[in-house]
Amino acid sequence: MKNTFALLILSMGCIGLNGQALAVGDAAAGKEKAAQVCASCHGAEGNSTDPQYPRLAGQYASYLVQALREYKEGDRKNPIMLGFASGLSEADIENLAAWFASQPGGLTTPVLLRRAVPE
Amino acid sequence: MRKKTFTRALMLAIGISFAGSSLAAGDAAAGKWKALTCLGCHGIPSYTNAYPTYNVPRLGGQHAKYLVSALQAYQNGQRNHPTMRAQASNLNDQDMQDIAAFFENEK
Repeated sequence: MKNTFALLILSMGCIGLNGQALAVGDAAAGKEKAAQVCASCHGAEGNSTDPQYPRLAGQYASYLVQALREYKEGDRKNPIMLGFASGLSEADIENLAAWFASQPGGLTTPVLLRRAVPE
Repeated sequence: MRKKTFTRALMLAIGISFAGSSLAAGDAAAGKWKALTCLGCHGIPSYTNAYPTYNVPRLGGQHAKYLVSALQAYQNGQRNHPTMRAQASNLNDQDMQDIAAFFENEK
C-alpha cells in the first residue's frame, strides 16, 4: 500500500516534468501560419531551395523559438526576418517551431560524433 | 627571349587569377578539420545552450550560403551570441566557406 502511494507520487512527478519539458506548440496551427508567412522563402515544409534561406525542416523546435524571438526583439539584426517575426505572437512562434521541427528531409547532426552518441 | 618571359608571366598571372576565383567555393575536406571546434557543440545530438536553454542548432544538410551569412553575422555583431561571436571572430572568408561546405555535405 505504501509502495503504491509512493509510485503514485512518483508518476505524478514524472507527468509534471514531462508536461514542462514538452511545452510544445501546435504543429497543425503552425502549418497554416507557415503557409502564410514563411513558405515563400523557406518552403511550406521548411526545405528551402534558395540557398540564401536556411532549411528549417528537422531543426530543433527550441532553437527555432529562440531564433524567432531574437529576430522579433532585434537581438538578431535582420531586416527581412524582423519584418516577419514582429507580426508573430508567442503562440505563433511555438506553433511554427513545432511544425518545422516535425518535418522530414531536412537537417541532421554531423556524422563524426553522431555514430557514438544515440540521438 | 623577352617575349617568352612575358608569355610565361601572363600565363602565371592567369593561373593565379583562376586559383583565386576557385578559392571562393568551399572545400568540404578542409572544412572537416576546421569544423572540429564546431562539433564540440554542433556534433552532439540534443546539446543545449546553457542560458537561455535551447538546443544548439542542427547544421548537417544546411545550405552553405546561409551558413556563411550566419557566420558573418556573428562576426560583425548582427548576431550577438557570445560563444559564436568569439568563434566566428577567428575565421577568415575561406574558413567560413570551407566549414559551410562541410556542414552542407553532412546530410
